[in-house]
Amino acid sequence: MNTDDLIARLARDIAPVHPLPSPVRRAAIWFAVALPPVALMVLAMSPRPDLAERLQDGRYLLEQAAALATAVLAAVAAFSTGIPGHPKWVVFLPLVPLAAWLGSLGEGCWQMWLRLDSEGVHFHPDWICIPAIAMTAAVPGAAMAAMIRRGAPLMPRLTAALGALAAAALADVGLRLFHPQDASLMVLVWQFGTVALLTAMAGAAGRLVLRWPRVVPR
Amino acid sequence: MREPEQSGGDWAALMRAAQQGDAAAYAQLLREVAPAVRSMVGRRWGRGAEVEDLVQEVLLSIHAVRHTYDPARPFLPWLMAIVRHRIADGARRHARKAANEVTIDVLSETFLVDATNPGDDRGADTDALHKAIAGLPPGQRQAIELLKVREMSLKEASAASGLSIVALKVAVHRAIKTLRSKLDERT
Repeated sequence: MNTDDLIARLARDIAPVHPLPSPVRRAAIWFAVALPPVALMVLAMSPRPDLAERLQDGRYLLEQAAALATAVLAAVAAFSTGIPGHPKWVVFLPLVPLAAWLGSLGEGCWQMWLRLDSEGVHFHPDWICIPAIAMTAAVPGAAMAAMIRRGAPLMPRLTAALGALAAAALADVGLRLFHPQDASLMVLVWQFGTVALLTAMAGAAGRLVLRWPRVVPR
Repeated sequence: MREPEQSGGDWAALMRAAQQGDAAAYAQLLREVAPAVRSMVGRRWGRGAEVEDLVQEVLLSIHAVRHTYDPARPFLPWLMAIVRHRIADGARRHARKAANEVTIDVLSETFLVDATNPGDDRGADTDALHKAIAGLPPGQRQAIELLKVREMSLKEASAASGLSIVALKVAVHRAIKTLRSKLDERT
């Protein structure tokens, strides 16, 4: 088929389309869809007994706020990467709260190291974090996947990784509301580690999941 | 062809109309965009059939994601991003294809068994066959030479020899039988 024929066929019977809302608006829509299932999960697992006390703890609040901001900004970035010609700097937005989150955990680990002689190392296997975060992230992740597939797969690996980071970070916020584990090293390895693992897995599968839609000209 | 910089505003208007289902505007947009895309692709790929394939791929991509264009934003960066990424996809595909293609030398042998590797024995076998053909009765020899050695059709052989087609078929059948028994005796 020559190019003129292709153009004629594409233009024939062209259907009207609704332009996608802005990435910020789409992130707000995603958040509205993703938040209730996470809240339900927290209620189903019953909130941790020391939650009121935790909510007075600056480090806990900082880490939860940083994780929440990572989820929101990663969602904005994921939706932006599906818009051709999007500004590049948006992709780096989630790095700011991510650095704050990681920084707080790192600082907590350092403090623990300084107290090593008196209290010992708070580290033991906590495998439950992996399925707990994965399950809590399931609905937000599915909603994210459905929404990013509406964009252009310009950078499929990055888009998928950012989408998974958003879902997993939000799930970790939920997890810390029902899972009483606050030792920085434990949170860093088992919770942040699970978020990083899910992000990496989604990034690796990005090209398989996000492909250019197949167009068959009539 | 209009310069893309001058056309960006017009193209944005055409795209806005296309998003609302205006077929004429869409056709005009794609017709105007195609040469610019071809020029961008050509700078990367030179000339050839692959360039036009890639141009068509870009047009199909524009069609597939036309809902991602924000009418409030300029059109050119949107278009350029699609072209740039599709060129990169094409380059990746090309590199993958090149990496998977292996140039194979013509091998002198296929399998280890003697039957598949005639080698120097081929000449000897041919000689034996020629000798066996020469030893055939005249009618059979003529049929074999016309139909098998010179690869004539039955009609042509019939015209050349003056024999009927049936007679030629019988003669060639007998000749092959004779040759087989002669060659079997040798081995």
